[in-house]
Amino acid sequence: MSSNTTENAKHSAEHPDGDGAGATDEDKKDDRMFECNICLDTARDAVVSMCGHLFCWPCLHQWLETRPNRQVCPVCKAAISKEKVIPLYGRGSTKQEDPREKVPPRPAGQRTEPEPGSTFPGFGFGGDNGFHMSFGIGAFPFGFFTSTFNFGDARPSPAPRGTQQHMEEQFLSKLFLWLAVLFIAWLILA
Amino acid sequence: MAGLSPSERRLQKELMSLMKEPPPGVEVDFDLAEQNLLHWIINMEGAAGTLYEGERFQLQFKFSNKYPFDSPEVTFVGNNIPVHPHIYSNGHICLSILTDDWSPALSVQSVCLSIVSMLSSCKEKQRPPDNAFYVKTCNKNPKKTKWWYHDDSV
Ligand SMILES: [Zn+2]
Ligand SMILES: [Zn+2]
Repeated sequence: MSSNTTENAKHSAEHPDGDGAGATDEDKKDDRMFECNICLDTARDAVVSMCGHLFCWPCLHQWLETRPNRQVCPVCKAAISKEKVIPLYGRGSTKQEDPREKVPPRPAGQRTEPEPGSTFPGFGFGGDNGFHMSFGIGAFPFGFFTSTFNFGDARPSPAPRGTQQHMEEQFLSKLFLWLAVLFIAWLILA
Repeated sequence: MAGLSPSERRLQKELMSLMKEPPPGVEVDFDLAEQNLLHWIINMEGAAGTLYEGERFQLQFKFSNKYPFDSPEVTFVGNNIPVHPHIYSNGHICLSILTDDWSPALSVQSVCLSIVSMLSSCKEKQRPPDNAFYVKTCNKNPKKTKWWYHDDSV
Protein backbone atom coordinates (compact mmCIF):
# COMPACT_ATOMS: atom_id res chain seq x y z
CA MET A 1 0.00 0.00 0.00
CA SER A 2 2.44 2.59 1.17
CA SER A 3 4.95 1.82 -1.55
CA ASN A 4 2.19 2.21 -4.09
CA THR A 5 1.29 5.64 -2.90
CA THR A 6 4.89 6.79 -2.84
CA GLU A 7 5.37 5.51 -6.35
CA ASN A 8 2.35 7.39 -7.55
CA ALA A 9 3.58 10.47 -5.79
CA LYS A 10 6.94 10.13 -7.50
CA HIS A 11 5.28 9.83 -10.87
CA SER A 12 3.14 12.86 -10.46
CA ALA A 13 6.22 14.75 -9.36
CA GLU A 14 8.14 13.70 -12.46
CA HIS A 15 5.29 14.29 -14.82
CA PRO A 16 3.22 17.17 -13.53
CA ASP A 17 0.55 16.45 -16.12
CA GLY A 18 1.32 12.80 -15.53
CA ASP A 19 -1.75 10.90 -16.70
CA GLY A 20 0.15 9.22 -19.51
CA ALA A 21 2.90 7.73 -17.36
CA GLY A 22 0.43 6.57 -14.73
CA ALA A 23 -1.62 4.78 -17.35
CA THR A 24 1.32 2.82 -18.77
CA ASP A 25 2.23 1.77 -15.27
CA GLU A 26 -1.29 0.54 -14.72
CA ASP A 27 -1.21 -1.28 -18.02
CA LYS A 28 1.93 -3.07 -17.01
CA LYS A 29 0.37 -4.19 -13.78
CA ASP A 30 -2.69 -5.40 -15.66
CA ASP A 31 -0.48 -7.41 -17.97
CA ARG A 32 1.30 -9.01 -15.07
CA MET A 33 -2.04 -10.02 -13.59
CA PHE A 34 -2.48 -12.38 -16.50
CA GLU A 35 0.95 -13.91 -16.37
CA CYS A 36 1.23 -17.62 -15.86
CA ASN A 37 2.63 -18.36 -12.41
CA ILE A 38 5.04 -20.87 -13.88
CA CYS A 39 6.58 -19.51 -17.08
CA LEU A 40 5.92 -15.84 -16.22
CA ASP A 41 4.64 -15.22 -19.75
CA THR A 42 1.12 -14.11 -20.49
CA ALA A 43 -0.84 -17.28 -19.90
CA ARG A 44 -1.78 -19.16 -23.04
CA ASP A 45 -4.45 -21.83 -23.09
CA ALA A 46 -5.11 -20.33 -19.71
CA VAL A 47 -6.61 -22.31 -16.88
CA VAL A 48 -7.39 -21.27 -13.36
CA SER A 49 -7.27 -23.55 -10.34
CA MET A 50 -10.04 -23.77 -7.75
CA CYS A 51 -7.85 -21.65 -5.50
CA GLY A 52 -7.85 -18.97 -8.18
CA HIS A 53 -4.34 -19.20 -9.53
CA LEU A 54 -3.68 -18.71 -13.21
CA PHE A 55 -1.47 -20.88 -15.40
CA CYS A 56 -0.91 -21.89 -18.98
CA TRP A 57 -2.43 -25.29 -19.32
CA PRO A 58 0.80 -26.77 -20.73
CA CYS A 59 2.74 -25.38 -17.78
CA LEU A 60 0.35 -26.64 -15.16
CA HIS A 61 0.06 -29.99 -16.87
CA GLN A 62 3.81 -30.42 -16.82
CA TRP A 63 3.88 -29.61 -13.11
CA LEU A 64 1.14 -32.13 -12.37
CA GLU A 65 3.12 -34.73 -14.28
CA THR A 66 6.26 -33.85 -12.36
CA ARG A 67 4.76 -34.86 -9.03
CA PRO A 68 1.89 -37.17 -9.81
CA ASN A 69 1.36 -38.23 -6.24
CA ARG A 70 1.58 -34.83 -4.67
CA GLN A 71 -0.42 -32.47 -6.80
CA VAL A 72 -0.53 -29.06 -5.22
CA CYS A 73 -1.00 -25.56 -6.51
CA PRO A 74 2.46 -24.08 -7.19
CA VAL A 75 1.40 -20.81 -5.62
CA CYS A 76 -0.61 -21.67 -2.53
CA LYS A 77 -0.11 -25.45 -2.10
CA ALA A 78 -3.83 -26.14 -2.19
CA ALA A 79 -4.73 -29.57 -3.52
CA ILE A 80 -5.21 -29.41 -7.25
CA SER A 81 -6.06 -31.84 -10.01
CA LYS A 82 -6.57 -32.04 -13.73
CA GLU A 83 -10.29 -32.39 -13.28
CA LYS A 84 -10.59 -29.35 -11.12
CA VAL A 85 -9.14 -26.61 -13.23
CA ILE A 86 -11.26 -24.21 -15.20
CA PRO A 87 -10.28 -23.08 -18.68
CA LEU A 88 -10.53 -19.36 -19.34
CA TYR A 89 -11.96 -18.27 -22.64
CA GLY A 90 -11.42 -14.60 -23.32
CA ARG A 91 -13.02 -12.78 -26.20
CA GLY A 92 -11.05 -13.23 -29.38
CA SER A 93 -8.90 -15.92 -27.87
CA THR A 94 -9.34 -18.25 -30.81
CA LYS A 95 -6.22 -20.23 -31.54
CA GLN A 96 -3.55 -17.67 -32.08
CA GLU A 97 -0.94 -20.23 -31.04
CA ASP A 98 -0.37 -23.77 -32.12
CA PRO A 99 -1.29 -26.23 -29.39
CA ARG A 100 1.97 -27.13 -27.78
CA GLU A 101 3.67 -30.46 -28.34
CA LYS A 102 1.90 -33.47 -26.95
CA VAL A 103 0.08 -31.82 -24.11
CA PRO A 104 -3.44 -33.19 -23.88
CA PRO A 105 -6.23 -30.82 -24.76
CA ARG A 106 -7.18 -28.40 -22.09
CA PRO A 107 -9.97 -29.73 -19.91
CA ALA A 108 -13.34 -28.51 -21.09
CA GLY A 109 -15.50 -26.16 -19.13
CA GLN A 110 -18.26 -27.88 -17.26
CA ARG A 111 -21.77 -26.83 -16.53
CA THR A 112 -22.65 -29.22 -13.74
CA GLU A 113 -24.18 -28.00 -10.53
CA PRO A 114 -21.99 -28.23 -7.47
CA GLU A 115 -22.45 -31.41 -5.51
CA PRO A 116 -23.70 -30.96 -1.99
CA GLY A 117 -20.91 -31.66 0.43
CA SER A 118 -20.98 -35.34 1.14
CA THR A 119 -17.95 -36.02 3.24
CA PHE A 120 -18.82 -37.75 6.41
CA PRO A 121 -17.30 -36.07 9.41
CA GLY A 122 -16.17 -39.19 11.19
CA PHE A 123 -13.02 -41.24 11.66
CA GLY A 124 -10.38 -39.25 9.83
CA PHE A 125 -9.65 -41.68 7.06
CA GLY A 126 -11.09 -42.73 3.78
CA GLY A 127 -10.83 -39.43 2.05
CA ASP A 128 -12.15 -38.67 -1.38
CA ASN A 129 -10.38 -41.45 -3.15
CA GLY A 130 -12.25 -44.25 -1.53
CA PHE A 131 -10.75 -46.57 0.97
CA HIS A 132 -9.87 -50.05 -0.08
CA MET A 133 -9.00 -52.76 2.28
CA SER A 134 -9.06 -56.49 2.10
CA PHE A 135 -8.13 -59.19 4.48
CA GLY A 136 -6.04 -62.10 3.40
CA ILE A 137 -6.93 -64.21 6.37
CA GLY A 138 -9.18 -66.86 4.98
CA ALA A 139 -10.32 -68.39 8.19
CA PHE A 140 -12.15 -65.39 9.45
CA PRO A 141 -15.78 -64.93 8.74
CA PHE A 142 -15.25 -61.59 7.13
CA GLY A 143 -16.81 -62.21 3.79
CA PHE A 144 -19.74 -60.37 5.13
CA PHE A 145 -17.71 -57.31 5.91
CA THR A 146 -15.49 -57.09 2.89
CA SER A 147 -18.10 -55.68 0.59
CA THR A 148 -18.69 -52.88 3.01
CA PHE A 149 -15.00 -52.08 3.10
CA ASN A 150 -14.96 -50.57 -0.33
CA PHE A 151 -16.90 -47.56 0.66
CA GLY A 152 -16.20 -44.67 -1.60
CA ASP A 153 -16.47 -47.06 -4.54
CA ALA A 154 -19.60 -47.26 -6.57
CA ARG A 155 -21.71 -50.01 -5.14
CA PRO A 156 -24.54 -51.71 -6.98
CA SER A 157 -27.22 -49.32 -5.85
CA PRO A 158 -25.78 -46.61 -3.72
CA ALA A 159 -28.15 -44.17 -2.22
CA PRO A 160 -27.89 -40.72 -3.75
CA ARG A 161 -25.06 -38.79 -2.16
CA GLY A 162 -25.94 -36.35 0.51
CA THR A 163 -29.22 -37.98 1.43
CA GLN A 164 -29.97 -39.25 4.86
CA GLN A 165 -29.76 -42.83 3.65
CA HIS A 166 -26.40 -42.22 2.09
CA MET A 167 -25.08 -40.81 5.30
CA GLU A 168 -26.37 -43.78 7.21
CA GLU A 169 -24.77 -46.21 4.82
CA GLN A 170 -21.50 -44.39 5.10
CA PHE A 171 -21.76 -44.50 8.83
CA LEU A 172 -22.62 -48.17 8.88
CA SER A 173 -19.77 -49.17 6.63
CA LYS A 174 -17.33 -47.26 8.76
CA LEU A 175 -18.79 -48.76 11.87
CA PHE A 176 -18.36 -52.25 10.45
CA LEU A 177 -14.82 -51.48 9.52
CA TRP A 178 -14.02 -50.36 13.02
CA LEU A 179 -15.68 -53.40 14.50
CA ALA A 180 -13.54 -55.57 12.26
CA VAL A 181 -10.40 -53.72 13.24
CA LEU A 182 -11.21 -54.01 16.89
CA PHE A 183 -12.01 -57.67 16.46
CA ILE A 184 -8.67 -58.36 14.83
CA ALA A 185 -6.84 -56.38 17.44
CA TRP A 186 -8.60 -58.40 20.05
CA LEU A 187 -7.67 -61.64 18.27
CA ILE A 188 -4.05 -60.62 18.12
CA LEU A 189 -3.81 -59.41 21.65
CA ALA A 190 -5.81 -62.17 23.23
CA MET B 1 15.15 -14.24 -27.36
CA ALA B 2 14.40 -16.61 -30.20
CA GLY B 3 16.72 -19.54 -29.58
CA LEU B 4 16.06 -19.87 -25.87
CA SER B 5 14.64 -22.97 -24.26
CA PRO B 6 11.63 -22.53 -21.94
CA SER B 7 13.92 -22.72 -18.90
CA GLU B 8 16.23 -20.10 -20.31
CA ARG B 9 13.33 -17.89 -21.27
CA ARG B 10 12.03 -17.93 -17.76
CA LEU B 11 15.51 -17.33 -16.32
CA GLN B 12 15.94 -14.44 -18.70
CA LYS B 13 12.74 -12.92 -17.34
CA GLU B 14 13.89 -13.40 -13.78
CA LEU B 15 17.22 -11.85 -14.59
CA MET B 16 15.53 -8.81 -16.15
CA SER B 17 13.31 -8.25 -13.18
CA LEU B 18 16.21 -8.63 -10.74
CA MET B 19 18.08 -6.08 -12.81
CA LYS B 20 15.18 -3.66 -12.72
CA GLU B 21 14.25 -4.10 -9.07
CA PRO B 22 17.13 -5.66 -7.18
CA PRO B 23 16.02 -6.88 -3.75
CA PRO B 24 17.99 -5.37 -0.86
CA GLY B 25 21.18 -7.18 0.11
CA VAL B 26 21.14 -9.40 -2.99
CA GLU B 27 23.19 -8.74 -6.08
CA VAL B 28 23.33 -10.94 -9.17
CA ASP B 29 26.47 -11.23 -11.25
CA PHE B 30 24.69 -10.25 -14.45
CA ASP B 31 27.63 -10.73 -16.80
CA LEU B 32 28.11 -14.28 -15.70
CA ALA B 33 24.41 -15.09 -15.84
CA GLU B 34 24.10 -13.63 -19.32
CA GLN B 35 26.92 -15.81 -20.57
CA ASN B 36 25.21 -18.90 -19.29
CA LEU B 37 21.66 -18.55 -18.07
CA LEU B 38 21.85 -21.90 -16.31
CA HIS B 39 24.59 -20.84 -13.92
CA TRP B 40 24.32 -17.82 -11.64
CA ILE B 41 26.45 -16.38 -8.88
CA ILE B 42 24.75 -14.13 -6.39
CA ASN B 43 26.45 -11.93 -3.84
CA MET B 44 24.62 -11.61 -0.61
CA GLU B 45 25.09 -9.33 2.35
CA GLY B 46 24.33 -10.25 5.92
CA ALA B 47 21.40 -8.05 6.93
CA ALA B 48 21.97 -5.22 9.37
CA GLY B 49 21.03 -6.03 12.93
CA THR B 50 21.62 -9.78 12.50
CA LEU B 51 24.50 -12.03 13.49
CA TYR B 52 25.78 -11.81 9.93
CA GLU B 53 25.87 -8.03 9.64
CA GLY B 54 28.84 -6.89 7.58
CA GLU B 55 29.59 -10.35 6.17
CA ARG B 56 29.46 -11.11 2.48
CA PHE B 57 28.52 -14.44 1.01
CA GLN B 58 28.33 -15.98 -2.43
CA LEU B 59 25.52 -18.22 -3.56
CA GLN B 60 25.72 -20.41 -6.61
CA PHE B 61 22.58 -21.37 -8.52
CA LYS B 62 22.67 -24.16 -11.08
CA PHE B 63 19.56 -24.78 -13.15
CA SER B 64 18.67 -27.86 -15.13
CA ASN B 65 16.76 -27.63 -18.38
CA LYS B 66 13.69 -28.72 -16.42
CA TYR B 67 13.65 -25.51 -14.42
CA PRO B 68 11.26 -24.27 -13.03
CA PHE B 69 9.69 -27.71 -12.64
CA ASP B 70 12.93 -28.92 -11.18
CA SER B 71 14.42 -26.93 -8.30
CA PRO B 72 17.72 -25.15 -8.75
CA GLU B 73 20.83 -26.54 -7.07
CA VAL B 74 21.75 -23.83 -4.58
CA THR B 75 24.93 -23.79 -2.50
CA PHE B 76 27.10 -21.27 -0.78
CA VAL B 77 30.48 -21.00 -2.47
CA GLY B 78 33.65 -18.99 -1.98
CA ASN B 79 35.68 -18.54 1.14
CA ASN B 80 32.99 -17.37 3.53
CA ILE B 81 30.33 -19.99 4.17
CA PRO B 82 27.89 -18.66 6.77
CA VAL B 83 28.09 -20.47 10.09
CA HIS B 84 24.48 -21.50 10.65
CA PRO B 85 22.71 -24.59 12.07
CA HIS B 86 21.29 -25.40 8.62
CA ILE B 87 24.33 -24.64 6.50
CA TYR B 88 27.10 -27.19 6.18
CA SER B 89 30.70 -26.11 5.91
CA ASN B 90 30.79 -27.34 2.30
CA GLY B 91 28.09 -24.82 1.41
CA HIS B 92 25.13 -27.21 1.31
CA ILE B 93 21.93 -25.72 2.69
CA CYS B 94 19.21 -27.65 4.47
CA LEU B 95 16.14 -25.78 3.29
CA SER B 96 12.98 -27.60 2.29
CA ILE B 97 12.00 -25.32 -0.60
CA LEU B 98 15.18 -26.42 -2.35
CA THR B 99 13.93 -29.99 -2.62
CA ASP B 100 10.64 -31.35 -1.30
CA ASP B 101 8.78 -28.08 -1.04
CA TRP B 102 10.00 -26.60 -4.29
CA SER B 103 7.31 -25.17 -6.51
CA PRO B 104 7.62 -23.72 -10.01
CA ALA B 105 6.04 -20.52 -8.72
CA LEU B 106 9.16 -19.93 -6.63
CA SER B 107 12.03 -18.03 -8.17
CA VAL B 108 15.66 -17.09 -7.67
CA GLN B 109 14.42 -14.06 -5.81
CA SER B 110 12.15 -15.99 -3.46
CA VAL B 111 14.93 -18.51 -2.76
CA CYS B 112 17.31 -15.67 -1.94
CA LEU B 113 14.76 -14.07 0.35
CA SER B 114 14.21 -17.37 2.15
CA ILE B 115 17.93 -17.74 2.68
CA VAL B 116 18.25 -14.16 3.89
CA SER B 117 15.45 -14.71 6.37
CA MET B 118 16.93 -18.03 7.44
CA LEU B 119 20.17 -16.22 8.23
CA SER B 120 18.40 -13.31 9.87
CA SER B 121 16.46 -15.44 12.30
CA CYS B 122 19.55 -17.28 13.52
CA LYS B 123 20.24 -16.85 17.22
CA GLU B 124 23.51 -18.65 17.59
CA LYS B 125 26.20 -19.16 14.98
CA GLN B 126 26.97 -22.82 14.85
CA ARG B 127 27.33 -25.61 12.30
CA PRO B 128 24.78 -28.40 12.06
CA PRO B 129 25.53 -31.09 14.65
CA ASP B 130 26.28 -33.67 11.94
CA ASN B 131 28.48 -31.35 9.91
CA ALA B 132 31.70 -33.38 10.03
CA PHE B 133 30.00 -36.61 9.05
CA TYR B 134 27.80 -35.07 6.37
CA VAL B 135 30.59 -33.17 4.68
CA LYS B 136 32.67 -36.34 4.46
CA THR B 137 29.91 -38.55 3.11
CA CYS B 138 27.55 -36.39 1.04
CA ASN B 139 27.14 -36.25 -2.70
CA LYS B 140 28.52 -33.16 -4.38
CA ASN B 141 25.00 -32.24 -5.39
CA PRO B 142 22.92 -31.29 -2.32
CA LYS B 143 19.78 -32.25 -4.19
CA LYS B 144 20.92 -35.88 -3.92
CA THR B 145 20.80 -35.63 -0.16
CA LYS B 146 17.70 -37.01 1.48
CA TRP B 147 17.22 -34.14 3.87
CA TRP B 148 15.47 -34.55 7.10
CA TYR B 149 13.91 -31.17 7.74
CA HIS B 150 14.24 -30.95 11.44
CA ASP B 151 13.25 -27.54 12.50
CA ASP B 152 11.93 -24.83 10.27
CA SER B 153 11.91 -22.20 12.94
CA VAL B 154 15.61 -21.44 12.76
ZN1 LIG C 1 2.97 -20.74 -18.41
ZN1 LIG D 1 -3.44 -21.77 -5.50
